[in-house]
Amino acid sequence: MLTINLFNGLVYGALLIIMSSGLALIYGLRRVVNFAHGALYMLGAYIGFTVAMHSNFWVALLAAPLAMAMVGVLLDRYGLRLLQDREPLNVMLVTFGLLLILEDLVAFVWGKGNHSLFTPGLLNFSVSVFGESLPAYRIGVIVVGAAVALGLTLWLRFSRIGLFVRAASTDPVTTSMQGVNTDTLSAGVVGLGAALAGLAGVVAAPFLSLSPHMSSDVLIDSFVVVVIGGLGSLAGAFVAALLLGMMQAIGAVYLPQVSVLLPFLFMIAVLVWKPSGLAGSRT
Amino acid sequence: MSLSRIGFLALLALLGGALVMGLTQSASLLGMFTQAVIYAIFALGVGVLLRQNGLVSFGHALFFGAAGYGMGVALTLQWMPAELALLAVLAAISAGAFLIGLVIVRVPGIAFGMLTLAIGQMAYLLASRARGLTGGADGMGIPWPDTLFGVPQATLLQPATLFMLAWALMVAVTCALLWLLGTRFGAVTEAIRDNEERARFIGIKTTVPRALVYALSAVVTGIAGLLSALNTGFVSPESLHWSASAITLLMVVVGGFKRATGPIVGAIVYFLFKDLLGEWATHSMALFGAALIAVIVFSPDGITGALARLRQRLRHGPLKKGSQP
Amino acid sequence: MTTHYVLQAEDVAIHYGGVKALDGVALTLEKGQIRGLIGPNGAGKSTVIDAITGRRRLTRGRVLLDGEDVTALGAVERRRRGLSRSFQRTSIFAGMAVRRQVELASHRMGVADSGADADAVLEELDLARLSHMVAEDLGYGEQRRLDLALALVGRPKLLMLDEPMAGLSVKESHDLARHLKALTSRWEVSVLLVEHDMDVVFGISDAVTVFELGRVIASGDPASVRADARVREAYLGSAA
Repeated sequence: MLTINLFNGLVYGALLIIMSSGLALIYGLRRVVNFAHGALYMLGAYIGFTVAMHSNFWVALLAAPLAMAMVGVLLDRYGLRLLQDREPLNVMLVTFGLLLILEDLVAFVWGKGNHSLFTPGLLNFSVSVFGESLPAYRIGVIVVGAAVALGLTLWLRFSRIGLFVRAASTDPVTTSMQGVNTDTLSAGVVGLGAALAGLAGVVAAPFLSLSPHMSSDVLIDSFVVVVIGGLGSLAGAFVAALLLGMMQAIGAVYLPQVSVLLPFLFMIAVLVWKPSGLAGSRT
Repeated sequence: MSLSRIGFLALLALLGGALVMGLTQSASLLGMFTQAVIYAIFALGVGVLLRQNGLVSFGHALFFGAAGYGMGVALTLQWMPAELALLAVLAAISAGAFLIGLVIVRVPGIAFGMLTLAIGQMAYLLASRARGLTGGADGMGIPWPDTLFGVPQATLLQPATLFMLAWALMVAVTCALLWLLGTRFGAVTEAIRDNEERARFIGIKTTVPRALVYALSAVVTGIAGLLSALNTGFVSPESLHWSASAITLLMVVVGGFKRATGPIVGAIVYFLFKDLLGEWATHSMALFGAALIAVIVFSPDGITGALARLRQRLRHGPLKKGSQP
Repeated sequence: MTTHYVLQAEDVAIHYGGVKALDGVALTLEKGQIRGLIGPNGAGKSTVIDAITGRRRLTRGRVLLDGEDVTALGAVERRRRGLSRSFQRTSIFAGMAVRRQVELASHRMGVADSGADADAVLEELDLARLSHMVAEDLGYGEQRRLDLALALVGRPKLLMLDEPMAGLSVKESHDLARHLKALTSRWEVSVLLVEHDMDVVFGISDAVTVFELGRVIASGDPASVRADARVREAYLGSAA
């Protein structure tokens, strides 16, 4: 019983890693808490659903993040870049407005009912771990989450572009003075962040059903993760995502009444103790 | 604004409300107006926090719903007469908000917003699951007594009475806020908002005044919650949901948070919009999203801000930075 | 007869992480005196103001106000004892009206008739006619004067000015210098003036102190400081 709950906790934690890394990247570069991220997640899931219906899951897995990447680039070029001198609060509200629009768009195009995406045939089996039968697809989600975490960390640490991203996150003015094209960089990073949201959506689709409300639930948990981890810190977000996933899993077993409150209590506790989050230094 | 000027404007406003009440024949229309006014008061609460503390709350629905649930529980368990319960609920909200405020106002900007979101959602989830006392996701009915302050229920629940009551409260709250914010307390909180370090340097303790403003904003929203509980006789977890907080935030931004009447304008625009949409009503949230974006891009001060600038321009000619020679 | 000093800084040092921002600085101010403080960027001029006003803690040394050791007191406490400062980057309350914020600052200092005090300060700095304007609508020079006004409420005994002329036009600088000179004689305020504009510093100062790398390298009346070979070499250049 415990194993399967811990396992599910890991699965949800992996999903949150994918979601929150996108949020953290966008915040790091544009200093914006992107409310529209939830909508990008949802769009990714729905686009993936439609593509999968016409071909298969694996094509969708590729197509949805790509589509979202394009949306992300447009968002940065025609939204965030033009608003970069405004109060961060105002930009946040603009992304919130975007969330409302996109949510409505999804309901308009796909209808308000729930949809399901079936687990791809290739992964439709179970693996026996510690005597428990675990769905292979969900193991796959954990793998994807880990891959994203590892990949991003390595990329930021060791690649040239990663270096620019880190520099631009810390000091955009100096970085652009050094000749780095921060506008292109931002568009790229926001595109990447959006792609990650889309990826999360497609990946989540087979085990969470699709509904016009799916954006808000994941969004709030992602916010909690990013804020606990420290705005702009990827490592912090990864740790927080896993902690959150675990907390909900264990809470579901031992403290079922209160388990839903745990993430929020945790967030309140962390913020009150350290307002910039576990790893954050900027607010 | 001077006390006499506030009083004069209040009188005008009250007369205006009475006029609206008198001229409106349809009960359902009047009911919609009442709803708009209740949300205007809710928005006033969110707005005063933004205006005086510079803080955005994504979770003010907490106080809106808590007021309703407080009354529901107090009346169901028959702890005290309804009149007393009204005051007790507001007192509890202000005390609770003050204590919460002491802790969270020290958290800067965006983190504060996220904290309020979290606290609000927690309340929502708690209310959704607590079947025993609060009826869980179905909500609870509020057993109002037969008379309230001597007024029989039949009279009180007339659309006209409810509207005038809500309107009068809205005017009263606005006046109270206008007066309060002109006092030195208002100046202190504005100084903290504008430049916390300098404020501390001139000898202002920055935590308590902001917590007081938070408590004030909570009470205002609580009043709206009580009105809503009276208006519908019912409270449900939906009144605690973050989307309710978000909509009032929308009203505040669209109306303009710098003027006291901004949130009221925002609420009216919201409800007008919703009503005029007709068959487009299913897309209301998208249209509000678009309106929000439009307002922020073109006039971050909201509608009242734009109007104020227009008035300035008509009166003084184009505004130039620095003084005229 | 020993001179009575309104301000004394003795052997003030601020060290952190291997950096010696200030390394044994001694400074004095007499009543109604204007002391200019000059030196290259990074020499520690702003830091010494932070040290004296209590914004930063000392590694070593003492600060005395009117003979009283205030080293252990915080910035607000020192302000209440009459030690005021302005800021290098204009630090005002952007959303508030001019008179409202000055009156608030005055009230917070414990001045009984804060309204009158505010009016007097605004008058002194030629801001009275802007009383009802919101601070963010003021021009840059006016905002700098507002910053100064906030520091002048409650008739402080000492005023530490951190580059008050920064960003001002030549005319505005000279106007401000005139205001300062009149103020100090009328109100008997002692001023420590950190500035890069040499004309202003040597124009209005009664004494000048020169900093380099966290230390005082010369101090005295303007003429002799100007003539000091070390100062000329280090800072002014022989053309001065």
